[in-house]
Amino acid sequence: MTAAFDVLQSAWRNPRGRTGALILLIVTIAALFGPVLLPDPLAQPDVLDASRPPGLGHPFGTDQLSRDVLARVVSGGRISLSVAFLAVGLSVTLGAAVGLVSGYWGGAVDALLMRIVDGALAIPRLFILLLVLAVWERVPVLALILLIGATGWFATSRLVRGEVLRIREEGYVRAAEVLGARRHRIIFRHLLPNALGPLLVAATLGVGDVILLEAGLSFLGLGIQPPTPSWGGMILDSREVMISAPWAGIFPGLAIVITVLAANLFGDALRDAVDPRSA
Amino acid sequence: MGAVSRVTRWTPRIAFAAALAAALADPAESQANRRRGTSITIVTGGQATLPVPTLMEGAESSVGNLDVADQLFIRLADLGPKLQTAGDRDFVPALASSWTRRDSVTLAFDLDPRARWHDGAPITARDVVFTIGRAKDPAIAPRLSALLRQIVSVSAETQKRVVFRFALPYAEQLYDATFHVAPVPAHLLESIPAGDLARSAFVTHPVGSGPYRWVRNVPGQFVELAAVPDFFLGKPKVERLIFRTASDPGARLNLLLSGQADAMDIIPPPPDNIRRVAADTTLRLISVPSSTVGYLLFNQRDPKNRARPHPILADIRVRRSITLGLDRRELVQAVFGSQGVVPYGPVSQLLWIRNGAPEPEAANIPEAKRLLAATGWGDSDGDGTLDREGRPLRLLLSLPNTSGVRRQMALLVQEQLRRIGIQIDVQQLEFPVWNERRSAGDFDVDFSSVSQDASPSGLTQSWTCTGGNNVAGYCDRAADSLITHAILGRGDPGDTWIEALRQIERGAPATFLYAPTFVYAVNRRYRAVTISPQSPWITLRTWSVSPAPVSHRSN
Amino acid sequence: MRSWLLLRLIQAVIAFVVALALLFVLMRAAPGDPLSRLSADRPVSRQEIEALRARYGLDQPVGTQLIAFVSGLLHGDLGVSIEHGRPVTSLLAERLPATILLGGSVLLLNFTIGLWLGVRQAVRRGQREDRWLTTLSLTGYAMPSFWLGLVLAWLVGVEWRLLPAAGMQDPLLEADAGFLSRAGDVLRHLILPVVTLSIVSIAATMRYQRAAMLEVLRLPYMVTARAKGLAEHDVTWRHGWRNALFPVITLFGLWLPILVSGSVFVETVFAWPGLGALAAAAVGSRDYPLLMGASLLVAALVVAGGLITDVAYALLDPRVRLG
Repeated sequence: MTAAFDVLQSAWRNPRGRTGALILLIVTIAALFGPVLLPDPLAQPDVLDASRPPGLGHPFGTDQLSRDVLARVVSGGRISLSVAFLAVGLSVTLGAAVGLVSGYWGGAVDALLMRIVDGALAIPRLFILLLVLAVWERVPVLALILLIGATGWFATSRLVRGEVLRIREEGYVRAAEVLGARRHRIIFRHLLPNALGPLLVAATLGVGDVILLEAGLSFLGLGIQPPTPSWGGMILDSREVMISAPWAGIFPGLAIVITVLAANLFGDALRDAVDPRSA
Repeated sequence: MGAVSRVTRWTPRIAFAAALAAALADPAESQANRRRGTSITIVTGGQATLPVPTLMEGAESSVGNLDVADQLFIRLADLGPKLQTAGDRDFVPALASSWTRRDSVTLAFDLDPRARWHDGAPITARDVVFTIGRAKDPAIAPRLSALLRQIVSVSAETQKRVVFRFALPYAEQLYDATFHVAPVPAHLLESIPAGDLARSAFVTHPVGSGPYRWVRNVPGQFVELAAVPDFFLGKPKVERLIFRTASDPGARLNLLLSGQADAMDIIPPPPDNIRRVAADTTLRLISVPSSTVGYLLFNQRDPKNRARPHPILADIRVRRSITLGLDRRELVQAVFGSQGVVPYGPVSQLLWIRNGAPEPEAANIPEAKRLLAATGWGDSDGDGTLDREGRPLRLLLSLPNTSGVRRQMALLVQEQLRRIGIQIDVQQLEFPVWNERRSAGDFDVDFSSVSQDASPSGLTQSWTCTGGNNVAGYCDRAADSLITHAILGRGDPGDTWIEALRQIERGAPATFLYAPTFVYAVNRRYRAVTISPQSPWITLRTWSVSPAPVSHRSN
Repeated sequence: MRSWLLLRLIQAVIAFVVALALLFVLMRAAPGDPLSRLSADRPVSRQEIEALRARYGLDQPVGTQLIAFVSGLLHGDLGVSIEHGRPVTSLLAERLPATILLGGSVLLLNFTIGLWLGVRQAVRRGQREDRWLTTLSLTGYAMPSFWLGLVLAWLVGVEWRLLPAAGMQDPLLEADAGFLSRAGDVLRHLILPVVTLSIVSIAATMRYQRAAMLEVLRLPYMVTARAKGLAEHDVTWRHGWRNALFPVITLFGLWLPILVSGSVFVETVFAWPGLGALAAAAVGSRDYPLLMGASLLVAALVVAGGLITDVAYALLDPRVRLG
């Protein structure tokens, strides 16, 4: 645990890492409390006078259904962030579990798991999601989170397996094994804590990836369902009005850029902390 | 050493600068500009894959194919601007210079003696006989053979005279004989087995009879056609015709507004887009009534168990309350601006039977609320959504993710119905999934949009008890008998059709939301421009073009 | 070495077969039918649907269809596309050049500008330029490609009219026009999609090159070179970069699939006539043969890319243990 804490602390000392963390924090707070202060993101006050450019009443303008774009960007952040955090949590857990099993047990189990991972990695993730999402009657947000999480662990499992193989070779783990330490003790005392650093990096960078992925799915109309605002969905809505009301698409896009950038800056700083030579 | 490293250092910059310079210098522009004057580039959604009349079955009966086929192959007669499919009045001669009725089931056509295939061979009655023979074979053309089922025989009486015989007397004989399929060249196709035609050289270089001939197909990009100099109805003045493809509507708009295309088929709503295009002074907007009608289809059977009635929607009062609870005028205004109307019954702006139909009902919120209360729906828990026996009045509205219009409209509907206590959950589905569920009757409310044939007889498919496309369990014997009577009765069936529409509206199987007007954009340098609703570019052979391009473009 | 290579090859084949099986099962398990489009906006009779199903072999059991597909695959025949009515192999072959041109140009930019910037960053590690380049490249990396494409097409193509907003060539240019005019024409159409894809992808190359270069800069012989009094520039590029290049070259294997699949959104937004747009449309129409063909091509490239990476790494880096 201390290893992970050290990593966080050292990332915080990195100015870019701190900037990323702070932005992420601000975005999260805005997503949590912003909707209280802003107009109802679903309200359509005047559908016959829609697509108003940014101005005093509506800092980001209104969309083609006269809804306030700022309120929708902020509410969309709530969805995007919760999907990202939960899905990444799930995929990192799954990836760590599979990687530990594969790396620790080795042999046939390892071979089987890794061949499946190879095959799954050969198919674009978006494509798998597209086909699986089609089975649902109405895709609840929870199902979306589970699906994104369940399709995101392949690379993490490889990473963890590699770490496990590396750490097992180290003297103290060998010694513990020779001394007859129990299996779960080795896993939870030695292997997992040492793999936490790289896992943390993978998770943080994963947040950015999932935000982009969810936006892509919603852009295809298959992610978050309207009227619930989501960044990708807003860009989809603006696709055909780019020429007449570009603000409706530009602002949610900027929100994605800022949030993903923040996550990646922080993740980058974490990586530098885990592997100081790359700083 | 230093020199080498300097090169290494500068290579990327030099390469980049060179690429940029070459790109912006555009040596091609002047040459392409010379040809621009006499050509037209039309941007559309789908590219032609098999633009050959008897082959456009299944997925091939796409707009992309139809647009090109209409230029390559000419019909016996063209349907006139009123789209009156019943009777013979609204047809104009094309490949056939005239026709005569011998009796109530026999129609003889005289082919224009000047008509020739693009390879120079004359077009004869034998070509027509051959074409209808292929089209009536269900193994080759399941769609066409169904449409042509009333044609009993076609025979060549002389080289230039062909005679059609029908199974029974009915009003749309001429329409059936001319509209569905244009003749294809027998002398080139007879030797090719029907099953191999789709892979033959004819398909990659079709030889037609129309005002334009095939030049080339650049996959994924465009199809190029050229005017036929000795076309028997006069050489087209626009010499080159390019159908450029972009599947994304936004990309199509960009091509039009950046000057890379001279015309575009349908400008996607909302009205702001139309205003934006109108602001480009080089473009002329042309509004054309469309064959599309959009409606909310109510499932009257339980989607979980088709044997049972739908727990909510089987009650006509709930269905009526949805229609009355919606301000359809406002919906149409918000999505289409002035370019659309609220339909009466499942009738697009193109069906002639809409003449004389009553006004659609206006919104009536108090009546909608009264109907819901009478059915036992009330807001007992005060959450804003009505409920009955502990279950909320909540319905799933399914729509395909491919339609921007329906997505916008669905959100407006959702908001309006929320105000009378009905909760609508909008579910966008991938297109094939949406469609499969729709066909299986697996939905509460389906957001349907259909493009109708010019003939009203197509209504039997969706709005009679046994119709093949009746997926919502709507069945009203009175409406059935009115529709049958309107199709098979002799004389003017207009009044019977109106009566049938009234009967359908009374049964409230659906809320008919919109019948849009499509807006086409064409560069102002083209003159004598007309757009035909059934086949937009078919009159192109009569357009002219002013010699000096009005705009300079940055293609 | 040889047995290692053989083992790695077998692994690659297994991965491909697993991907094929996963794809086939997923595709058939997903609802939707290639013929469903037909009844979408016009009435279709049951007989018509059945006649068409028989024509495409969709009335056979799934097992039979799989066997037919695999035996076709072994003979290099991927079947006939339902949407286009033509052999899948020829459709893929038609669209591949546009995708390779687009992907290849992105790759070229990545491996010139990206590498060059990565080295600069490593040399100026921790300085202002390094920090700015990191932030800038990460900003590009954070952009959804479809959003950036939409914005660029609108701004540069429509509002400023600087470059073509969509398409790959001017249809009015004769097919027999001079090579230079045609190349220039395609180049102008190429800029916006390439810039879009490069902006969102260049960060990865830069980060990788920077890390590799940092490793090299620490090595003793670099210190020696500097001590010998060589110009800083020569030390960096002649001594340093050459040795920092090989780990980056192995990146190429990982980039291979992106050449084909990474551009689905961008191809659609810019109406680029490539495989991505074709495959995206095939998903929407459940055109099974085309979809299988396109995704298998991508899967094969991913697997081959992985293989190339591993082999290149093994050959170039003696520290990798083979066994």
